[in-house]
Formats: sequence, C-alpha cells, structure tokens
Amino acid sequence: MKTIIRFEHVSKVYGSENTEVRALSDVNLTVEAGEYCAIMGPSGSGKSTAMNVIGCLDRPTSGSYYLDGVDVAQLNDHELAHIRNRKIGFVFQQFHLLPQLSAMENVMLPMVYAGIPLPQRQQRATEALTRVGLANRLNNRPNQLSGGQQQRVAIARAIVNQPVLLLADEPTGALDSHTTQEVMAIFAELNASGITVVMVTHESEVARLTRRVVWFRDGQVIHPNLSPTDLAQVTVAAV
Amino acid sequence: MEILESVKMAVKTLTANKMRSTLTMLGIIIGNASVITMVGVGQGAQRYASDQFESLGPNVLFVIPGSSESRNRTLDAPRTLTLEDAKAIATQVPTVSGVAPQLQTQQAVVYSNRSTSALILGTTPDFSPVRTFDVAKGRFISDLDVQRGTRSVALGADLAKSLFGTSDPLGQTIRIKNISFQVIGIMEAKGAFLGNNQDDVAYIPLSTMSDQITGNTSPYGTEVTFISIAARDENSVGAAQFQITNLLRLRHKIVTDDDFTVRTQKDALEVVGNVAGALTIMLAAIAGISLFVGGIGIMNIMLVSVRERTQEIGLRKAIGASQDDILVQFIIEAIILAALGGAVGTLIGVGGVTLVSMVSPLKAGVSPAAVMIAVGVSSGIGLFFGVVPARQAAKLDPIVALRSA
Ligand SMILES: Nc1ncnc2c1ncn2[C@@H]1O[C@H](COP(=O)(O)OP(=O)(O)O)[C@@H](O)[C@H]1O
Ligand SMILES: [Mg+2]
Repeated sequence: MKTIIRFEHVSKVYGSENTEVRALSDVNLTVEAGEYCAIMGPSGSGKSTAMNVIGCLDRPTSGSYYLDGVDVAQLNDHELAHIRNRKIGFVFQQFHLLPQLSAMENVMLPMVYAGIPLPQRQQRATEALTRVGLANRLNNRPNQLSGGQQQRVAIARAIVNQPVLLLADEPTGALDSHTTQEVMAIFAELNASGITVVMVTHESEVARLTRRVVWFRDGQVIHPNLSPTDLAQVTVAAV
Repeated sequence: MEILESVKMAVKTLTANKMRSTLTMLGIIIGNASVITMVGVGQGAQRYASDQFESLGPNVLFVIPGSSESRNRTLDAPRTLTLEDAKAIATQVPTVSGVAPQLQTQQAVVYSNRSTSALILGTTPDFSPVRTFDVAKGRFISDLDVQRGTRSVALGADLAKSLFGTSDPLGQTIRIKNISFQVIGIMEAKGAFLGNNQDDVAYIPLSTMSDQITGNTSPYGTEVTFISIAARDENSVGAAQFQITNLLRLRHKIVTDDDFTVRTQKDALEVVGNVAGALTIMLAAIAGISLFVGGIGIMNIMLVSVRERTQEIGLRKAIGASQDDILVQFIIEAIILAALGGAVGTLIGVGGVTLVSMVSPLKAGVSPAAVMIAVGVSSGIGLFFGVVPARQAAKLDPIVALRSA
C-alpha cells in the first residue's frame, strides 16, 4: 500500500507567546492510498487545522508533512498551487461556490487554472455534475440551488481534476439528514472508484459510513485507527 | 492560466457588479473626457487665432501705444500716437506702401427711428487697401474728406443692414452723437476678427472723428488709437519695422523705454502661438490631474473590492490559483476598467469638442494623438494603480481568506 498522507511530529501554533494556542501538538499520522476515513473529536481539538495542513492551505509550525512522498515544506507557491489544483479536492462546510457563476462554471474553475481548453472543460464539468446527480442543473446559479445541491456542485468541483485525495471538512454540517445520506453515498462511490477520502465530522452516523476513524483531542491524535463499528463505546469513553 | 481566460474571468466579474464597475470608471471617464475636450478646445483656439492673424496678410504691421514690456497695455493706454506720426511714417519710411491711423470709439448710430450701437472708426483712405476692406457700393473715405473734415460715412455691411434693412442707404443721412453724416459707401462683409464683428462699423474721416466725436486731448497732435501699416512686400516687413521704430523714437524723443510697439503679423502669430501653447499645456495639465485622480479612484475601489472578495480569492487559491493567477486577474480587471473608462471618456470628449465647434467659431478638432495618449495613459493608470490592490489580493493567505466568512 502506498502512503498518501504522512505527518511526522506536526505542530501548529497560533498566536504569539502569551496568547499561544497549540492547535496541533506533535501529531503523527499516516493515511494510505484508497482509505476512507473520518476525523472526529470535540470542537476545537484541531480537526480543521489538520485538514488545512493536509490540503496545503496551511503550513505546520514544526514537523514535516509528506504528501504522496513529497515534503510539502520544500514547495514554492506555484508548486503548492499545482498540488491544490491537481492532487487535492477540497469540500467545505459552507460550500464556497462563487455566486456569480453557474454550477457548470463553478465546476469548470479548477480546470481553468489547470489550463484545460474550453470544450474539454465543458465536457468534464458536465460529467462531474452528472456523477453527483445534477445533470439537469448545469446552468443554475448557487442561489437557485438547495443546500444539498450546492454541496454536490462543490463535490463535483473537487473531483473534476481527478484528484488522488478528497478532503471534506464537515461536508454534511449544513445539511439535513436526508441530503446527508445522498452526499455520503457520493463519497462512498468516489472512494470505491479509488480516491482517498478524508472527512471531518462530528456525527457518528456519518462516521459509521466510513472505514476508519481518527480521534482528536486537544490537538493530539488519541485514537489513530478506530473501527467505525466500535464508535459507540469510544465516543462515550473519549469525550 | 492563459491570459484570454483571465480576461474572460475579469469581464465576468466586472459585469456581475455593473454599478461598482461604472462608479470605478467614473473618474477615468471624466478625466479622459476633459483631456480630449480641453486639448481639442485649446488647439481649436490656437488655430482660430492663427487663422485670424493669417487673414491680415503677411505685409501688415501695427503700431500700438505703450511699450511691449508694459503689462497693462490696452487700447485705452496713454495715447502717445498721433496723426502726425502716421504722416511721418508715410512720407519718411520708404519700405511702407500704406499707412492707416485709426481712432475709434463705440457710439449710438441713428437712422430715422432706428438706433443701434456701433464702432465708429475714424481713419484715412489707406485703411481700405492696408486692411483689405473693400467697398461694395459707393466709395470709401477720400483724402479730401480727411482734409476738409467732411461728415461722410461708409457703413459696414451689418450696420447698413440693421439701419436700412433692404432699402438703399447711399446718400441717406444718419446721426452719430447727434451729428448728421451722409452715407457715401457700403463695405463688403468681412466677418469677425477674434470674436469682434468687423461689419458693425461706421467709417468716418479721422479729422472729423477727432474734432467732432472724440474731441482731441493729446498735447502731441491729433491722437490716434493705433496705426495699421502695409509694407511694400513681405520681404520689407522687417526693414519697415526697424525704420518705423527708429523714426518714432526720434519723433517721441525716446531715451530709454519706448512708448509704442511695432508689431508684425509674425509677432502676432508668435504671441498667439505662445499664449495658446501655454493655454493648451495648462488645460492638458488640469485634465491630466483629473486622470490621475481617476486612477486613484480605481485603486481605492479595487482595494475595497479585494477586501470584499477575500473569500473568493481564498477559494480560488484553494482550488489551484497561484499568486500570479490572482495578481494577473486583478490587474486585468483594473486595466479593463481604465481602458473602458478611457474609451467612454474619449467618446464624451469627442462629443464635447464637436459641441464646442458647433456653438463657437473655434474649429476645435480631436487630434488622434490626443485620443491615443488619453486611452494609452488611462490603461497605464489602470495598470499602475491596479498593482497595489492586485498584490494585496495575491498575497492573501488562502486559509485566512476562506475563514473570513
Ligand atoms: N487562525 C487562528 N488563530 C488562532 N487560533 C486558531 C486559529 N485557527 C484555529 N485556532 C484555534 O486552534 C484550535 C483548533 O481549531 P480547529 O482546528 O478549528 O478545531 P476543530 O476544527 O477541531 O473545531 C482552537 O482552539 C482554535 O481556537
Ligand atoms: Mg472545524
């Protein structure tokens, strides 16, 4: 198995000396290619910080992060932009769609930065939107779509450049339980097609649909590899 | 990312926020419109004044009272010139072919029950050839008229029309300052000179003018307002200027400062060129400042826009935009705004210039150079003032930008 994420003694400290917050504290973690895992833990335990480091949106204060074997600290802005564009797909709790663009145009955006020509962009965006069940909503603006539909557009945007790693920070946090099920089905299908999926969630029903749970507390990983089926007893013990 | 994609993206963003885009462009629009109008009007004024002086003919010289250095020289300045000066020039300066002293004042002119105000110009027969004012009907003032101080008057075309309408003025009697004059001739229409109607004029003998209309107050002889002179030909203008100056210095017993100035057509053109050139530069500078202010306006609003769009910028970075991509995107937005504002401003400026040429005698034109400079400069201003906000946008930390929700 190929290791896709490797944290070695990763720490992230916010603020200066007297107002210091250790969001991540000496975290060691590995995720293999093809895994489907959920990051859980109490609020403020460092889950989002970890996701942002994994997604190359943020850099660790100390320690090393290897993405697909590459030490991210050594990369310049262009190389980081390239990695965020090609290797990683990011799904946010608040969707972050551009309001002035249609669903189609939002999904095409990563391909614009990849320098893919327009006809191909249109074709692949259509495919991605079809894959998340929005073939009939290509030209709708975000404000003409429901929350679940918007999140599916965001997922289509995240997968359209065929990333190896799909990251989602509380992707169902803003959705009702029915649409949560729909979105989780899409993640399961994407994982089945070979994409590594890491998501943050605080809902055990969501985590139970994954295949591995990583448990954070106070900026540390206290359970690196829980089985989702053991979740109930751990939740009680850990919180 | 390709530049064409950046342009498309910028257009998309700008059209999505038409109100803000328009407001951003406003400064540049105004700046450009004023550059085009100001420079057009300035050059039109210059061309107009040059044409007017050109129309005097290359042989003409003027002697005006006061030295060329004295700052408040006007036609009402100390009347140091006399009819005797004019006669001396005519007889003693060999390069001169005609001398027309002029004494003038504005007066009411009355015919039967019609009254109008006109310029009364006392002069000698030489006026007609020297200034090329031709007689349409009847005759101009003769030497005999001047000698005898007759009450004869030749009317400018407009004055004749406003007093007599369609009837024939020749032989009729008009009254100037309650003195009766007989109409002896009607002049050809001449048009305006520097905005003054030259056809609303009554020509009378200089002697009659000084004796009966203005009254002579000069201790030096019969005073005149100024003297128009024709040199023998174009090549003798310089010599004539020199000789007239010397003669008048002798006659006026000048030791240090001249109390008169001899101007040639070339001098006048030069003055016009200098004044109009300075005017154009000044107008262009004012307009340039407003263009600059327009650029600052673009920068201001774009800085606000960067702040408003931090989330968008963060998202773009999260999905693969590099700092350069963001930088280019914002700079292109600024350039498009400035160039478009420049184009709109230019159109408005062209409209303004056209309007000016329609309602005034200034043949204001839009020089292609002014248009090119204005549009070029505004695009440059967009680039220059777009860089600061664009760099700010490019430098945004993606995670901070995304979290700013
Ligand atoms: N930009 C920041 N500046 C200061 N403190 C921060 C910042 N981001 C996160 N933190 C702090 O780091 C800790 C971990 O935050 P986060 O990773 O968002 O937690 P979680 O996602 O698990 O709720 C929290 O105490 C949070 O207040
Ligand atoms: Mg979080």
